[in-house]
Amino acid sequence: MADQIILRNVTKIFTTKTLGDITAVDNFNINVHEGECFSFLGPSGCGKSTTLRMIAGFEDLTAGEIELCGKLVSSSEKKLYVPPEERGLGMVFQAFAVWPHMTVFDNVAFPLAIKKVNKVDIKKRVAEALKHTSLSGLEDVYPGELSGGQQQRIALARAIVTNPKVMLLDEPLSNLDPKLRETMRFEIKSLQKKFGFTIIFVTHDQSEAMAISDRMMVCDMGKIMQIDTPENLYNHPNSRFVHNFLGESTFIKVEVKGGKVYPEGSNQALDIEIPKGVQGKMVIATRPNEIELTTPSAGGFKTHIEKRIFLTDRTEYLVPVGNQMVKIQTPHRVRYNAQDECYVKFIMPIWYPEDDEKTEAERNKRQLI
Amino acid sequence: MAEVKFEHITASYGKKTILKDFSLTVNSNEILCLVGPSGCGKTTLVRCLLGLMKPETGTITVGDRVLFDAKKKINIPAEKRNIGIVFQDYAVWPHMTVLENVSYPLKKRHIPKDEIRSRAMKALELVHMESYANHLPMQLSGGQQQRVAIARALVVDSEILVMDEPITNLDAKLREEMLLEIRMVQSRLKSTVLYITHDQQSALQLCDKMAIMELDGSLCQYGNDEDIILSPTNRFTFEFIGVSNMIPVSLQKDRICLDCGVSDSLDVEIPEGLDFSKPVEMGVRMNDVVFDNNSSIKAKVTSKVFLGSEYDYFLQLGNKEIRVQQSMLDAKLNGVPENGAMIGIRFVNPRFYPAKEVSSEAI
Amino acid sequence: MKLFNKDDSMAVLDGKKRFNLDKALTITTFILLLIIVIIPVFMIIFNTFFVKATTGHWAFDVSMFKTQLSEPKNLSAMWNTVKIAILTTIVGTIAGVFYAWLLGRSDIPAKGLMKALFNIPYMFPPFLGAMAWDMLLNGRGGYFNKFLMRVFQLESAPININSIWGIVFVEVSYYFPFVFMQVVAALEKMDPTLEECARIAGAKQSTVIWRITLPLTKPAISAGALLILTTSLAHFGVPSIIGYSQGIYTLPTRIYAVIYNAGGSFEGIRQGASLSVLLVAVVSLALIIQNKILSSGSFDIIKGKSTRPTLIKLRGAKYPLLVICIVTLIIIVVVPLVMIVLVSFLKAYGLPLKLENFTFAQYKRVFKGGGTIDSIKNSLFASITAGVVCMLLGTLVAYVVQKIKPKNKGALEFMSMLPYAIPGTVLSIGVILAWQGAVFGINLYNTIWIIIVAYLARYLSFSMKTSSAALLQVSSSLEEAARACGASHTESLADITLPLIRPAMVSGFFLIFLPAMREVTTSILLYGPKTRTLGVQIYGLRDAGMIPQAAALATVAIGIIIVLNTLVNYIVKDRKGV
Repeated sequence: MADQIILRNVTKIFTTKTLGDITAVDNFNINVHEGECFSFLGPSGCGKSTTLRMIAGFEDLTAGEIELCGKLVSSSEKKLYVPPEERGLGMVFQAFAVWPHMTVFDNVAFPLAIKKVNKVDIKKRVAEALKHTSLSGLEDVYPGELSGGQQQRIALARAIVTNPKVMLLDEPLSNLDPKLRETMRFEIKSLQKKFGFTIIFVTHDQSEAMAISDRMMVCDMGKIMQIDTPENLYNHPNSRFVHNFLGESTFIKVEVKGGKVYPEGSNQALDIEIPKGVQGKMVIATRPNEIELTTPSAGGFKTHIEKRIFLTDRTEYLVPVGNQMVKIQTPHRVRYNAQDECYVKFIMPIWYPEDDEKTEAERNKRQLI
Repeated sequence: MAEVKFEHITASYGKKTILKDFSLTVNSNEILCLVGPSGCGKTTLVRCLLGLMKPETGTITVGDRVLFDAKKKINIPAEKRNIGIVFQDYAVWPHMTVLENVSYPLKKRHIPKDEIRSRAMKALELVHMESYANHLPMQLSGGQQQRVAIARALVVDSEILVMDEPITNLDAKLREEMLLEIRMVQSRLKSTVLYITHDQQSALQLCDKMAIMELDGSLCQYGNDEDIILSPTNRFTFEFIGVSNMIPVSLQKDRICLDCGVSDSLDVEIPEGLDFSKPVEMGVRMNDVVFDNNSSIKAKVTSKVFLGSEYDYFLQLGNKEIRVQQSMLDAKLNGVPENGAMIGIRFVNPRFYPAKEVSSEAI
Repeated sequence: MKLFNKDDSMAVLDGKKRFNLDKALTITTFILLLIIVIIPVFMIIFNTFFVKATTGHWAFDVSMFKTQLSEPKNLSAMWNTVKIAILTTIVGTIAGVFYAWLLGRSDIPAKGLMKALFNIPYMFPPFLGAMAWDMLLNGRGGYFNKFLMRVFQLESAPININSIWGIVFVEVSYYFPFVFMQVVAALEKMDPTLEECARIAGAKQSTVIWRITLPLTKPAISAGALLILTTSLAHFGVPSIIGYSQGIYTLPTRIYAVIYNAGGSFEGIRQGASLSVLLVAVVSLALIIQNKILSSGSFDIIKGKSTRPTLIKLRGAKYPLLVICIVTLIIIVVVPLVMIVLVSFLKAYGLPLKLENFTFAQYKRVFKGGGTIDSIKNSLFASITAGVVCMLLGTLVAYVVQKIKPKNKGALEFMSMLPYAIPGTVLSIGVILAWQGAVFGINLYNTIWIIIVAYLARYLSFSMKTSSAALLQVSSSLEEAARACGASHTESLADITLPLIRPAMVSGFFLIFLPAMREVTTSILLYGPKTRTLGVQIYGLRDAGMIPQAAALATVAIGIIIVLNTLVNYIVKDRKGV
């Protein structure tokens, strides 16, 4: 597969009056393959939207260059900026951005009308795009009369009508309610299958990103943290930030002494394998639904159920491990009562050095831009 | 704190009857979550309790105080009902400081000035807002404003605290925090709380007792969280609580069998009182379908989506597409089936309900 | 009339109290609106079409209306009115949109300062502008005309302001801010992704402006254009000052002339009334047409997150456009102002503008005799009273309409908005007809109160609008929370609702006080010997040929307006913290 979107050493620095220079995007190198769905994932202020806007051509670059479909479109060195309208992209925005003064048909026909496609073809292609987005029959309606989901479908139809090779999606599902979000996600995927375009998908919602992407980039405070497939990122995060960002996480402070692992505040060792060369104070990371509650015969750390919380689709147990409270989630069929004795087993936890957290102050400052 | 009783309440807007002969009791010192889809009449009930709306029939009592009695023509005005309320949009008065907001109910009860201040500060301490006493609401975040609203509701010793969708406007993380906080404040003060929401998830996390209302304004189940989840009384409660599969089944030779292109028999007892001459469906939650290669029931994996905390599968079972969730623990221990694979499945905790009529299916 | 739902849920709010605050408020509002708005309007129509026969009975009679319609002077006045209004609207709208886009979306320098300067004409009384331009470009001896004749050796004046186009020019320069302000606000609120999306779809920047930006601001443009149209149709000052000398009449100036010539007799007032009906008909027609155009597409462009809009680079056109802006500002703001001030210092009108001809004598003369001081006092008293009463009454109407919502709140809203569509001149005639003893025998003629009553009718909709907008922001749960906290209905009103809308009430007051201070259209028909207003006094001095004195008083008036405006801005800014 060829690389369709290439970012080389892309950097963007914003100069603000109150906060001085802020590096919104710091030396990004990304290769997105043809036909791939690639997500930019991160908390707000991480640089994902700025990167997308640079690819679209709305922002210039402080350094670096961007190549689209084998053609250089942005380069700070050559002062080259192909304007957005000549990049041949499709784009869908969070706030839908459908034009309220045009009918559904006119909205979708706009990109074709601009290109002076003849009327018969426009009609045919718009009808086709509307069919694929289940909007047929709404041609003459104004967008204001439609629901959020339908408005986002108009935006999708407008983006696919020109058959672009690359589709940029900027948090397209964030303004929809949870049920609709899932449906739209499936629709985007099926459209991609049909038309074969490459997707760049920007979101701050990790489960959405994991569900839709082939590969994704997690970034934080203007830096790329990790790029990989969703499963690899989830199962092998290279930092506590990525681990925590991709799903509910449990971090347990431990000490490795004499070939055994002791949780903080306990003399009972945990039954886990120690990677080579690990010694002293560490943190093991796991997730509430990856911890097993077992019987004594299966081994594990002996403790008790402190509290049992009943949730819709699972039961949650709070279990002390040393001086730390660990959250465990199981299906309802695993039944314990409060104060019951129990054994806990950590399945393949991940090891991190004791302190790997960034300061909150820097993060807050970035929220302001 | 006192018990709250609604008895035979009928209330309507114009010609539209919202509540009909509705009765409900909120036990003292408990949190009752009243859950139902929007438009079912939850808010109408609250307005009746507050005295902002007048029911046509019934009585409302708090402890031994009658607030409303249609027959005896008793209707205590809103300001004399002594009910603490937290609204969805906070309703914190923007022109008053946090302290002024919280002091207002005391002022209206003509309590001496120095006592007002100390009681208001105490209420603010309860919600950890004492250091914001002199802030104006617009200098606070949504969650903080909600805390002020809670403090204001708590400051007079109301007999009951009503919360109408108090966390709906907050983001997910803050919602969790606020739920914990509400629970903590309640257990400290032993208040009686009527908590109104359309979100069954947060209700389950918070409640001592839960009451579920149907769209027509009737009460369809009352019980604690486990009752509601593990033994839903009808199809509405079952479907309201979470995403589920509804698979057609039929009775063959006194055994319940699948009826969706495959007809494997199920190892379950025949539920009483269900009319098998009409179509019947089996309801199974997504995470109650378990992969088990020893099972005779086979389904084909059509697609799977990795969601982080779990895998979401679409399986083809005969002519019916079903959705299954596999937890990461199971995935790590037993592996992840590939697309196209035929796998054995087992149903845990199935329930049986009459099938919906075709007309409602079409919607 | 059935005012309330049978089972009125609001009644519950007050428990079993016998006195129902809401009902009382609703009824009071109805009665007040009836007296202030409906009676004058009714009197005009009644007096136009009914005549008191010798028997003492009132009889239906259209002869007066017919006579007025067949009078050629009136017909030409009507055509002039329509012509001027349409031209003013078209030119004003184009100018407004052009400058709004330039200052709202381009990278032209000094934007903040220029936006403020472009709003100045909005507070400047147009009839003073007309005076200044008449001094400069009068066809017979305007100062600038004389200058041009000298320089270019011309036989006659090259530019004649005393023409239809002259009136249009002056009106445009004071009315284009209506469109300008609306469009700037719309552009600032517009979601920028709406435009970015069009770029992605393949449209060039210029295409985006034509196909997306402008159509999206259409509601703002139409609203502003409508305001220009109705204001111009009803406007008295400019056409009267510029048009009179050349016999160019519009309906408002014609109405004034008819009544003035009749010496205030009832017959003259009846003639004026029937002309008023004509004017109302023209305005209504304009409103109906506009309504048709507006309703075709109403939409909301204020959603999505408000990121800063992308500014369009003007590149080479930047400085030429900047020069155009500055020249425009000089012509519409600086030149008239300087002219009035200069003339106010002249020993006699017509003398060359040289230092040796300058004196302070005109100021002394204006203030001698006390008439001027009285007129300032009258204006202050009438404007403050009208401002305060309108503020209270407007808030009352707004509260009834927005919060109590009685069954026929539509009628209430219509009653309070009606004067908005009725020209000030017409309203004045209605007020004369009503309060000259016709209703309950109350005669307010020749007192300051008749002017105040007219101001009330004319400006009520202003304060009602601002209070309405503020009340909409006060969600009902705020009041309900107070009820649950132990406050009675009246207490919750006093403790919660009123304090919350107080800033809006204050700005509503100034919205009435400022225009009332400088207005001439209404009071010119209502003043009596002792109740001249500031506007009437200036107008009268000029009419009597004492132009330097008029200019001196105009300078004072402008001074007062500037001081008041600064004060307002200071107060309003101070209150933003609430």
